Amino acid sequence: MGIRERVARLLEEMPRAAQFPSQGATLFVDLERRETVSAFTPLAVTRTVLAGRGANMYYLHRLLDESLTPLHPDIPLIFGSGLLTGLVPSAARGNCTSWSPESGVLLDSNAGDYFPSFLRMNGFDHIVLYGKAPAWTMIVIREGVVTLEDASPYVGMDNIEMREAVAREVGGTWTKNLAMVNITRAGENLVLTSGVMAGPKAVYARGGPGAKMGSLGLKAIVTLAQTHEFPTARPYKPYNRHIAQKLLATSVVKNALSKTGTPFLYKPSRMLGAMGTRNNQETTWTEGLDAEHFDRYRPGMEGCFRCPVNCRPLNDLHKSTPDKYDKGDGPEYVTLGKFGPNLGIDSVEAVIRLNNICNDLGLDTASTGSALGWAFELFQRGLITTKETGGIALQWGDAATIETLLFMTAAREGFGAVLADSTKAVEKGHYPREALRYLIAVKGLGQSDPHDARILKAFALGLAVATRGMDHLRNRATLEINARINDNAAFKSELYGGVVSAEPNGYAGKERAVRACEDIYAVGDSVGMCRFTTKLFNSPTLPGLEEFRTQIANVTGLEFSDAELRQCGLNVMGVERLINHRLGVRRQDDTLPDRWFDEPNPSGPYQGEKIDRQEFDDLLSRFYAISRLTSEGVPEEAWRKQLVGALGQT
Amino acid sequence: MVTVNFPAALQPLSGATLVVRESVHTVGQLVKALDRLVPGLAHELDDPLYNFAVNDELLLHNVDARPVKDGDVIEIVPSMAGG
Ligand code: SF4
Repeated sequence: MGIRERVARLLEEMPRAAQFPSQGATLFVDLERRETVSAFTPLAVTRTVLAGRGANMYYLHRLLDESLTPLHPDIPLIFGSGLLTGLVPSAARGNCTSWSPESGVLLDSNAGDYFPSFLRMNGFDHIVLYGKAPAWTMIVIREGVVTLEDASPYVGMDNIEMREAVAREVGGTWTKNLAMVNITRAGENLVLTSGVMAGPKAVYARGGPGAKMGSLGLKAIVTLAQTHEFPTARPYKPYNRHIAQKLLATSVVKNALSKTGTPFLYKPSRMLGAMGTRNNQETTWTEGLDAEHFDRYRPGMEGCFRCPVNCRPLNDLHKSTPDKYDKGDGPEYVTLGKFGPNLGIDSVEAVIRLNNICNDLGLDTASTGSALGWAFELFQRGLITTKETGGIALQWGDAATIETLLFMTAAREGFGAVLADSTKAVEKGHYPREALRYLIAVKGLGQSDPHDARILKAFALGLAVATRGMDHLRNRATLEINARINDNAAFKSELYGGVVSAEPNGYAGKERAVRACEDIYAVGDSVGMCRFTTKLFNSPTLPGLEEFRTQIANVTGLEFSDAELRQCGLNVMGVERLINHRLGVRRQDDTLPDRWFDEPNPSGPYQGEKIDRQEFDDLLSRFYAISRLTSEGVPEEAWRKQLVGALGQT
Repeated sequence: MVTVNFPAALQPLSGATLVVRESVHTVGQLVKALDRLVPGLAHELDDPLYNFAVNDELLLHNVDARPVKDGDVIEIVPSMAGG
């Protein structure tokens, strides 16, 4: 069955009117035929997986044809905003979902800035894109009216130039009434580490969404609309004040996030001996990249739509004759780690500049940093030489060469074409098979953050079981690095719904910590809440299920208990695992890089620590058991039937 | 004598560094001594944001009982997650 038949069948089941106050429509865009149609997510789906990431999974589950390949135009690319996106403080987020051309498994990526909220201001909660546009196309949505326009004037533009041109030609003002998601040259060139930009720095980063959007011939989606209030079931603003106060009163927000942003995490990771260095061959790096060394380059902070936290550091290298990469937005902790220790770079200025270049080129810093780190280690070991790199010596810490390689990657020029194939470099014949021994990736996706998880077993389990591949943002039990929580056994048990070992390197109960985080984060993504401000990620006191269900009831009139909402989170993971199973994922894929099993951690207070294969396998079995998963990691039969009953057959 | 270095967020209360001259043998005792020097500091430190590092070794559990000896340098390290 082709995509058009699948969409037609789905549309037959979808209501033509909103099912609850504030619900926006789902816009289906056939880029090849230049046709659009809209309908609404059924209520049974909302009650099962909410909206945002959750409902994106419903659309992918129904429309995916796994006999094709990820970049086939019949494989849809789906954007979705959360149930509370644009209405609640710090709920500024949305997800982008497809079949990943980079990893070969689920593609699901989250971003904030203004697009997810402004999409809703135009009356849409989701956009489902399919078919290859006959010529480069830009979708423009003006006050809810959709037009498909010629994007050829923007072809070849990267992010900075594109944003200037669109503001000029389309009109409107960023952050007031104009928002955009767009690809860069990297997306046009199907670079597998390319993201879909959602702002100067905000990016749907992971899994190659830029390449997927490029394969459809879509350069951008632009929204233009006045911000407005939504009709809601009940007044919700008084409770918004409670949420905002709660956010701003939380220590991690007040003392860290809104002052410096996420680079704070670098220091504890390096002191612990858990800072992935030189592609995780080492685990500690210079004090010179501690967050305070970025202070002098940070002129201010910015934030996403109606978020009072403003956690995003701006940067300025204070050059007397600056070029366009000497000022910008970021870096976040991931970029600091991936373009600092991971590549042997010890200069704050170099990290900032490379961050700014990646933002312009639309490159996912996690996957691009991973691809570079892998290549550098292969060069160090002689598995590749200047013959393969086109004469370029890959020397750790050589920021100038790395800068050149970023531009070559975006253009798929020379050795850049190899880096552009990311984790697929062996499959594509660029590297010998032996290279896979040094790849720090799970399910085909390079590690998102630089934290070497040989020590913290909850972190390790999370990276192994994350449905989109090796990524910490799906389920990181970050509070495992907070000693006051580890030392309060009763509080820790209450937090995770059972006993979890106080020892960071212990295995006992760690499945509970990951399960609890995965559930609440999936709910957070499906209501549009930022991960940084969701309970358990950064603090036990940030907004969680209670706040989400209260505002869901106020905004939509839909009542959920805490248990029902938690079940929605579990359901999202369940559908994702059903999708991954169709894509060939099995228990053996919920694993970790060999290096973490085989090589002891070389430094720090936990020197010698590694992952024990048997202990890990037992931990994985316990995780499956409490997650209602079979021994192969898919939902048990009764639950699978419930999910398929609510979401429909594929 | 034990030297304690504080992060920027605590410095309005503690200053950048405090030196504890009374005899302390554990981190738990050290926190009480700090509170005697700067009333309210123990309350501020009872916050999951802050970890203790003793001579650059970051402590992640069983902190109050960890030994501290004369000449040690303690650092209060904010710990958080990022993306
Ligand atoms: S906490 Fe930061 S990233 Fe999250 S929504 Fe607010 S400003 Fe955006």
